[in-house]
Amino acid sequence: MCRSALASICTSLLATATLAGDTPPDPARVATLESEVSLAKKPGVYLVLDPPRRTLEIRSRGLVLDSVPIRGIEVVSQGPLLGSGASGEVRAPAVWTIVAGAGDTDREVIAPAELKPLPPEGEEEEEPTAKPSASPTPTSTPIPEPPVSYRARLDTGWDIWVCTELPPDGVWQRFVAAVRDGWERLRGEGEDHPPAVAIAMQPDDARRIHHLMRTGVAILVAAGAS
Amino acid sequence: MWLAPILSLVGLLALVGGGAVVLANVGQVHLSTAFTVVAQVPEGPAEPEALRRRAARAATALDRLRPTGSVIVVDTYRNRLRLYRDGELIRSAVCSTGTGRVLRDPRTGRQWVFDSPMGERVIHRKAKNPIWGKPDWAFIEEGYLPPPPGSPERFDDVSLGDYGLYMGDGFIIHGTLFKTLLGRRVTHGCIRLGDEDLEFVYKNVPIGSRVYLY
Repeated sequence: MCRSALASICTSLLATATLAGDTPPDPARVATLESEVSLAKKPGVYLVLDPPRRTLEIRSRGLVLDSVPIRGIEVVSQGPLLGSGASGEVRAPAVWTIVAGAGDTDREVIAPAELKPLPPEGEEEEEPTAKPSASPTPTSTPIPEPPVSYRARLDTGWDIWVCTELPPDGVWQRFVAAVRDGWERLRGEGEDHPPAVAIAMQPDDARRIHHLMRTGVAILVAAGAS
Repeated sequence: MWLAPILSLVGLLALVGGGAVVLANVGQVHLSTAFTVVAQVPEGPAEPEALRRRAARAATALDRLRPTGSVIVVDTYRNRLRLYRDGELIRSAVCSTGTGRVLRDPRTGRQWVFDSPMGERVIHRKAKNPIWGKPDWAFIEEGYLPPPPGSPERFDDVSLGDYGLYMGDGFIIHGTLFKTLLGRRVTHGCIRLGDEDLEFVYKNVPIGSRVYLY
């Protein structure tokens, strides 16, 4: 909470980093700042992925609303056990837009089977205190917790993969993963994914940004030394 | 005598190992490579002085977009509302936000998504003892046919509490009858506060103030 409070009042760190000191500003950082200006002209929420600072910030109109520390970031692609991965080079600053979000789906649908006429005034059903209310009555069906690992498709064709641990890199672990995936494919359950930017974070952080991974949300990838 | 079990064991291991190798050959694994940012600088003046000017111009533009005065920030995952005045946090409150559920009208198939909005909103109206004009979904959710527009059943002077701060499109910061549900995602998209917090926010947030929801 303290970090959020402080973050929301301070001037953009990108801006301060760009303007501070007598040394000439980093051109990549200036370009990042200019990209943010174009995003901040719209009233929506956008995310700023800052790999050098290992943060993912939630912003709107240049305000830092919240900040999520990142434990690790890698480019992850699928391939055969002895293959090599996709290039991990990402051009930045860049603005990625989510085109199919993890937060778009998984909604519970309420649909009454049929609708009955309102009871006449004075003949209210059941609880007499139940005046028509702006609020749903306390419900016994809790909202399901968002997952801690999920993917969202980007307009680049890649995914952004939010997870708590980056995929294991050991030879034995990869072999076990290949056997498991091979078994799933034999049963027709294997999944093919495009290359992804995998971002590892704490489980609670992964859950709380799940609903922000929605179609249309922009992610600014910052470049340059902070 | 002892050779047979050993040979059986070796055979079994070979079979399992061979099967594993075949499966591993079919399977796909996650191949990781380091995330490396390659700076992509758009064309433009790159001399130090020109860069400084560009940076200053962008920083000024960003400062102009940033709101001043009273600002409300709502974290819809943690169900917390924070109120800032000139950058200082002056109130932090537990609130309730939208469930994210979808309601479908069985007659028409029309749907409502009970999300709290994301991004920037503006407080464009405030009211004491607000009256809620109940929309169709409020009846459909309860299994009732919506009454005609303007009928008395549509007006509710209890549910919104003592104060309402209107953010547009039917989204309101208001009070609640269900105080035990504060801190949970239980609303149709509005932001509910406890009585004291609502009064404080009402008295300290002028019309025109910005609300940021994420």
